[in-house]
Amino acid sequence: MYISQAMHGIAYGMILFLIASGLNIIFGMMGILNMAHAAFFMLAGYFCYTVVGITGNFWLGLLIAPVLTACLGVLMERILIRRSHAAGHFGELILTMGVASVIVALIKKIWGTESLPLRVPDILQGMVSIAGMNYPIYRLFVIGLALGVLALMMLLLYRTRLGKIVRAAVSDRDMVNALGININLVFMFVFGVGTWMAGLAGVVIAPLLTVFPGLADQVGMDAFIVVVTGGLGSLAGAFIVAIIFGLLNSFGVQFVSQFAPVLMVAFMALVLAFRPNGLFGAKDR
Amino acid sequence: MKNNLSVKIILWIAGLILLTGLPHVIGIYYTNMVVAFAIFSVFALSLNMLLGFTGLLSFGHAMFFGMGGYGTALALTHIPGLAVIPAVGIGAATAVLLALILSPLVVRVSGTAFAMLHLAFGQLLFVVALKLYKITGGEDGIGNFPMPGLFTESLSTSPVHFYYLAMIILGLCVWLMWFVTKTPFGQIQVGIRDNARRIDYLGYQVPQTKAVVYVLSAFFAGIAGSLYGLSHNLVSAEGSLGLWMSFYPIIATMIGGVGSFFGPILGVAVFQGIDELILRYTESTELVMGVILILVVMFLPAGLMGFISSLMLRLKSRSCKNQS
Repeated sequence: MYISQAMHGIAYGMILFLIASGLNIIFGMMGILNMAHAAFFMLAGYFCYTVVGITGNFWLGLLIAPVLTACLGVLMERILIRRSHAAGHFGELILTMGVASVIVALIKKIWGTESLPLRVPDILQGMVSIAGMNYPIYRLFVIGLALGVLALMMLLLYRTRLGKIVRAAVSDRDMVNALGININLVFMFVFGVGTWMAGLAGVVIAPLLTVFPGLADQVGMDAFIVVVTGGLGSLAGAFIVAIIFGLLNSFGVQFVSQFAPVLMVAFMALVLAFRPNGLFGAKDR
Repeated sequence: MKNNLSVKIILWIAGLILLTGLPHVIGIYYTNMVVAFAIFSVFALSLNMLLGFTGLLSFGHAMFFGMGGYGTALALTHIPGLAVIPAVGIGAATAVLLALILSPLVVRVSGTAFAMLHLAFGQLLFVVALKLYKITGGEDGIGNFPMPGLFTESLSTSPVHFYYLAMIILGLCVWLMWFVTKTPFGQIQVGIRDNARRIDYLGYQVPQTKAVVYVLSAFFAGIAGSLYGLSHNLVSAEGSLGLWMSFYPIIATMIGGVGSFFGPILGVAVFQGIDELILRYTESTELVMGVILILVVMFLPAGLMGFISSLMLRLKSRSCKNQS
């Protein structure tokens, strides 16, 4: 009983981490709190729904939807964000809020407001029993996928030249620019990767929660809380806090069902009260 | 100079007459709209006190707005025979109390941390208000509380009466906030925004000043929230404490122009005007609002006020050129 509850928690935490890490890396590099991130996340769920509706293949949706989302993210960076540096970080924040609002409105126009179910393929359905316990396969798949992406990101960040540039840009983007690296291209790439991860999270969460226009608010807010509590710009912080939050969420629903949402927010308030920059946040940003 | 003064007085009197006669000219629907406009103006101005004049962005300003509303609504429900002005006072006092509790914590930080801390507390308060349904009524909120008027039986039956009451209170608030910016204290505030360390070296106490500004801002937000609750005869978690209520004044301030005193008022006016127009033609308010936000940030980074002042500057320089 507890173990399956913990599994729910970890799977949700992994999805939160997928969204949060994209948000985090964008903030770390560009200093932009991307309020449209959750909207992209939801949009990918809808893309997947449409792709599955046309081709009937979930795997194709898993492949195509995040890439489409990433393309939109790159477009947004290129067309809107890059031209609004004059407005400062505060202006960029408002800009991303505007984009989020436009995306949500368009989703309601195109796909309607009712929640759309998404069926997972037969291989991922049902339970698998390991050491006498039954686990739902799909949740195992989600955890595995998220760990895979995490490993990929770690490799990219710490084992490639590009990762080195990204990490250098996080600590001092002007210096990197001065060294002759096309920082705008790097920004665009990072924005794309970030929205791709959000898109992936959106696709894998769709079968669990169905797709509906309130998804961005519901899950997006949680992911936002994760990033803030873990410390803006810290991937490790986001990972740890995402897992804690997933567990808090699933166990909270079981034991203090009324006050489960309070638990998470209270945890954030407590952490921020003593460490205003989050658990692993840098001192000054 | 004397001429200037008399023009000013005439303008003031004309404005007062206009405001007094307004409800009889434009009807109840638009009267209520003017009241809402005034309430949100005071709310946005109280946020701009923090954001524009002290450089502190808060993602949870709805906390104080909501506390004001809940304070007033609870007082009117549970204390029989309470008059309306003390009730508004209780609302504002509730907001101030919350600010006093939070201030030792929040004045130590600034920037992103300040914004995030407020997001956390605002959400905490929102969820708690939803869950403590025995006191707050949960999702339904507190509605239909008695609203004694100053001269009439109930404010809810005479919107014109409420209009005058709200206008007097809110007008006083606007004047007070404007007055604060003109005092030496207001100058220190701007100093903290521009260079906190320097103000510290000059011998002013930065955290204490921030705390005073914070409490003042909460006070005005509380009054706005209290009147908002009265104008709807309903205080609910979603309507008064929700995330949208925290973002509304930020966006309005951004559209109007951060840092100029009257910017937020202009922003609220534009906001409400657009809302009114959109609802007449199309259902999707979100789409138009989003597009407007994007356009403002892209093309008017200093807000409408900044745009107007740069336009004035250009006109002036042109007329100077013509003279020479």
